Amino acid sequence: MIEIRDMSKWYGDFQVLSRINEVIHRGQTVVVCGPSGSGKSTLLRCINGLEPFQEGEVLVDGVSVSDPSTNLYKLRQKIGMVFQRFELYPHMTALQNITLAPLKVKKKTREEAGKKAMELLARVGIPDKADSFPANLSGGQQQRVAIARALAMEPEVMMFDEPTSALDPEMIKEVLDVMIDLAKGGMTMVVVSHEMGFAREVADEIIFMDEGKIIERGTGEEFFKNPKSERTKDFLSKILI
Amino acid sequence: MRLAYNFDWGVLWRAPYGVWLLQGIWLTIQLGLIAWIIALVLGVTIGTMRISPWPWVRRIGTAYVEVFRNIPFLVQLFFWYFAGPMIFGQAMMFKINAISGLNYYVAIIGLGLYTASRVAEHVRAGFASIARDQFQAALSTGLTEIQMYRFVIIPYALRIIIPPLTTEFLTIFKNSSVAMTIGVAETTFMSYKIDSETFHGLEATTGAMAVYLAIGLGVVKLMGMIESRFRIAGLVGRK
Amino acid sequence: MFDAVWRNLPYLLGGYWVTVKLTFFALIGGIALGVLVGLGRISKKKWIYYPVTFYVNLIRNIPLILVIFWFYFVMPIIVGRPMDPFPSAVISFIVFEATYFGEILRAGFQSVSRDLIQAGYSTGLTYWQTTRYLLVPIAFRRMLPSMITQSIVTYQDTSLAFVIGLPELVRRTAIVDGLEVRSIQLFGFVAVVFFITCYLGSIVSRRFEVQRERGF
Repeated sequence: MIEIRDMSKWYGDFQVLSRINEVIHRGQTVVVCGPSGSGKSTLLRCINGLEPFQEGEVLVDGVSVSDPSTNLYKLRQKIGMVFQRFELYPHMTALQNITLAPLKVKKKTREEAGKKAMELLARVGIPDKADSFPANLSGGQQQRVAIARALAMEPEVMMFDEPTSALDPEMIKEVLDVMIDLAKGGMTMVVVSHEMGFAREVADEIIFMDEGKIIERGTGEEFFKNPKSERTKDFLSKILI
Repeated sequence: MRLAYNFDWGVLWRAPYGVWLLQGIWLTIQLGLIAWIIALVLGVTIGTMRISPWPWVRRIGTAYVEVFRNIPFLVQLFFWYFAGPMIFGQAMMFKINAISGLNYYVAIIGLGLYTASRVAEHVRAGFASIARDQFQAALSTGLTEIQMYRFVIIPYALRIIIPPLTTEFLTIFKNSSVAMTIGVAETTFMSYKIDSETFHGLEATTGAMAVYLAIGLGVVKLMGMIESRFRIAGLVGRK
Repeated sequence: MFDAVWRNLPYLLGGYWVTVKLTFFALIGGIALGVLVGLGRISKKKWIYYPVTFYVNLIRNIPLILVIFWFYFVMPIIVGRPMDPFPSAVISFIVFEATYFGEILRAGFQSVSRDLIQAGYSTGLTYWQTTRYLLVPIAFRRMLPSMITQSIVTYQDTSLAFVIGLPELVRRTAIVDGLEVRSIQLFGFVAVVFFITCYLGSIVSRRFEVQRERGF
């Protein structure tokens, strides 16, 4: 589904990502963790072409992201993304947030788009908030709308950039529940997060990154119980209570 | 595209046109500089009035700013020039109107009064943006009120105000062009006059534009020098 | 007391109508062009950024009267025949005010977080779609108080079209004053008209400033 080969990225002289290699298969859920500044968010943005990279290749469903002839707009329709600070459009209602892209990009009719949006809102648990503005929604509700917004384009992959980091503790669960639901339903997911409970439950693979490199990969309990590298051990000891 | 027009850039420096332009430039500079001094003195006073603890003093300051801000400068100028002398009664009016170069004096005073209201706003905003933060921090370290004003508040306020004041200084030269409407023979007036004699208004106005650009650059350079010199002698270390 | 004003009221109001018309066209054109100017000023493409920046810096350093004159002299050369003051004034104002609105909108554009625009891109929207549905509407709402203030300035600036003979309010007042010589009444009247309208405008602007505080 997603193949990353020897990918490296620099901001000027500073190397942000260093020879990243990874394969993510359809239906898999991959969790990426690591200290801040390790390049995790940048990695996500390289996958859907929001950030350029200088070396290596990224293939999404066989399509090369860095190839100049690739239509990035079309590519992005296949990849849904959820951001740390939700990034809902403040001047639009929840419903309008969700239907904007389907209306303008997929040229759906207002009824089609509206119907799908209501289904998605029901799926994330807040159908009653369709006409609310983001300013009137709690953080957890906003993030769920953001997830619905990403799902509205019927993507094949969903990427999450620290989706619960900006939430108050009591709202983290409602968002994680939606994500767990998605993962169990077979969605291919790449999640940057420190929520190890989530990782334990649904992750097929956990990646630890530091200073732009992938330090270690593991599955399930193995990863938490027997981390191979010192740095991984160190990091885990800091975030696990 | 064939334009039925012969360009004649010589109108900018051939006599007598070149001389006219130079005279106009000299007047623009005079108008700007003298009015700026009036504006600074008056503006700082009114700006300080607006943060005074006495309500009536504040109200007078606010009234001044609101009046001069909500009426176009051209209207103000016309009022002072045409209606102004009448305020003093019939007898005085004739005496005033007989003053040669009346329009010059009215223009300077009018420009000064108008710009003062804008300077007052910048002064007020400058004080308002510091009072909360630094005031208490300074006092909490044991400084007296006077020491606080001298070492913290005023240097800080002046540094904050320099950029908007630079803009106002630039604006005063631009606004001086309005004085042409009451016959003051400054740069813009002269470019119009050159056109009426030669019909080469395009060249004349382009030349006038270059003059204002040059003045603008000069002002920015000057204020930049003031700002950096102030920084070296500055008592508050800030980037 | 204001007898000179009453006597000439229809004539003066006709002038005010011209003032309003000029303001209207100047604002529509100035804001529309201003959006493009603002976008140009944040463009990463050098061939857009440098010309637009040059244009903005040029216009902001010269007096409006001069711009009005310049177009009044230039337009006949391009069009081939003498030009009516109203269209010439409209063009001058649009070109002039667009730089000011452009700078205001630029600040608005820069206040929209990059992530928000990326959120739009991540759903497959194109550059023009994110600009049209996200960047511009949000920037407008955030900068509304400044836009209103600048509109009031434009409204006041229309008085300068006086110099090319446009029969707006101030020019007509000056003409009447030439006949009646009741300067205090007449210019006082104009001053009051502007004062009231502008003051009300600034109150409206302040209302939006307060509304904006709530979560935008």
